[in-house]
Amino acid sequence: MTTLLIVEDNELNRDMLTRRLERKNYTILTAGDGQEALEVMRQSQPDLVLMDMNLPVLDGWEACRIAKQDPQLQHIPLLALTAHALDQELARALDAGCSDFATKPIDFPLLIQKIEGLTQS
Amino acid sequence: MSLRKRLIFSMLTILALLSINVGTHFWGSLARNESMIAYRDSVSAGQLSDEIGRMLENQRQQVLVLATLKETTGDQLGGAEQQSALSNIDDISRKILSLGSLSWEDTEPLYKPLKKSSDELLAGWRSFYEAYNDTSTISDIEDPLPYLETNQLLDALKQQQSALAVDRASIIDRTIALTDRITIFAFLATLLLTFLLGLILVRYTSRSLKQLQRGTEQIGAGDLSYRISTMNESGELAELAHAFNTMSEKLSSAIDEVQAAKEQADQANAAKSTFLANVSHELRTPLNAIIGYSEMMQEEVAEGDEIDRNQLQSDLTTVVFSGRQLLTLINDVLDLSKIETGKMTVVCDWFNPLMSLESVANSMAPLLQAQNNRLSTDYSEQFPTMYSDITKFRQIITNLLSNANKFTENGVITLAGHYDDKDQIVTITVSDTGIGMTDEQIKRIFEAFEQAETSTSIKYGGTGLGLSLCREFAEMLGGSITASSKPGRGSTFTVRLPANRESNPVNA
Repeated sequence: MTTLLIVEDNELNRDMLTRRLERKNYTILTAGDGQEALEVMRQSQPDLVLMDMNLPVLDGWEACRIAKQDPQLQHIPLLALTAHALDQELARALDAGCSDFATKPIDFPLLIQKIEGLTQS
Repeated sequence: MSLRKRLIFSMLTILALLSINVGTHFWGSLARNESMIAYRDSVSAGQLSDEIGRMLENQRQQVLVLATLKETTGDQLGGAEQQSALSNIDDISRKILSLGSLSWEDTEPLYKPLKKSSDELLAGWRSFYEAYNDTSTISDIEDPLPYLETNQLLDALKQQQSALAVDRASIIDRTIALTDRITIFAFLATLLLTFLLGLILVRYTSRSLKQLQRGTEQIGAGDLSYRISTMNESGELAELAHAFNTMSEKLSSAIDEVQAAKEQADQANAAKSTFLANVSHELRTPLNAIIGYSEMMQEEVAEGDEIDRNQLQSDLTTVVFSGRQLLTLINDVLDLSKIETGKMTVVCDWFNPLMSLESVANSMAPLLQAQNNRLSTDYSEQFPTMYSDITKFRQIITNLLSNANKFTENGVITLAGHYDDKDQIVTITVSDTGIGMTDEQIKRIFEAFEQAETSTSIKYGGTGLGLSLCREFAEMLGGSITASSKPGRGSTFTVRLPANRESNPVNA
């Protein structure tokens, strides 16, 4: 069973994504901000993190940077979720250490493809 | 000194020198002329003296011969001979008179005795001829003294005249030499002065023109701070320099203005870009929920899962809620665009504000529940109907309540409505127990596209349009909106609107 961590502050979106991915037989962990995300990552070592970038407490970019510098966490692939469609926002996510990104509203089949790509490698 | 004055001054100086030159020339001619006349007089006087001397001598010979003849032969003198002799004597007398008129001023002392002596001599001769045929008279005509005396005086006069002629000739020479010198000197002075004045004019003019040229080149090369420094000069070129400097200043300030306008436009542009990015972000967030939930339900139905009715109901509510959120956002953007293009209209009518407040408060219930906030209301007992734009009134209250809710969790939001009978003003207050703002933040929150912090839009969403719309609407309705807050202690927004037709500026 592949374990995914969904980091998302918007409750509706978090709920929706959790339910849809559970239907695809993923084990889902959730976190509401960057700080919480890092804690869950250390605790549960998920196979992939789906990270919203606009987060309270500790934002997604900073959380990604910390994860990539942490020897315990740097092997976990990060996939950015962002409602910013501008190219520079996507570049910013990749700079912060994300392997890929998905733009909201999420194209679900494409997201599944990306998740599979990142978890199988 | 101005250029024109310089030119006039130069022309006048040159003209004065030329006049001196011409004047000297004429004076020289005149003086020479007078000396020539005097010289000629002296020369004529010399010749006349010679002639008179000869005539006197001839006449004396004739008188002596006739006297000898009379004594020896006693011949009578013919009438014609007598007449001829007398007219000869008259002739001599006239010539002596005309001799007197030549150079009278100088020769008067010598001429007077000559005249006297010659008059006596000629009178003696005249009476000799008249009494010649009268044998009874005895003449003493042979006495040589009167003749010699006259002749001597005539000689002296002649010598003085020739001395005068020499003097006058030298005066003429000196006059000619003097006028020549003056003419040459004046001519040279004119040349020199003309040259000097020309040089000064050219130097002055070309120096100023060069400064102007340098200034023009500097300005042309983009150095707008360059100024010409000829302020110690006066006149046309200085005025030109001054005008040039004024032009430079105006140009410089015009460019500064354009630069400032450009920066302002750039800022506005950047603000709009940020705004568009925010709008895009805000549109995508509810769309993500709408599409996500809808697709999920689609899957659930398609895959024939057992449908949980309560779950379905809740999911559908989420879709509707997100859709409404999207609509609100789109309406806000459109409203702002309408205000900016001046197309927002105010439609006033009588309505009951209390009912409006309650209906808005009721519609907020789901949102309040989501944040676990409680709404407390406090209305005046006496609340009249008010004359205003009900749509904008509702929108202001909705925006304020939804803001208060957005920035408050597990808190209390208070909606208060009061009516001041004296001023006829309706005052609505929305206060919360949320995160609050600093004074600096309060200053910016009513500006379009602004939020208290850039990170605020990330944490709490929103496009920074709600409060700016609230302020625009409140002002359109003749009222105002103010905010007070303390960080961590919550915020209070106060809206004051005129309640009746008369005090509403839309109908004033």
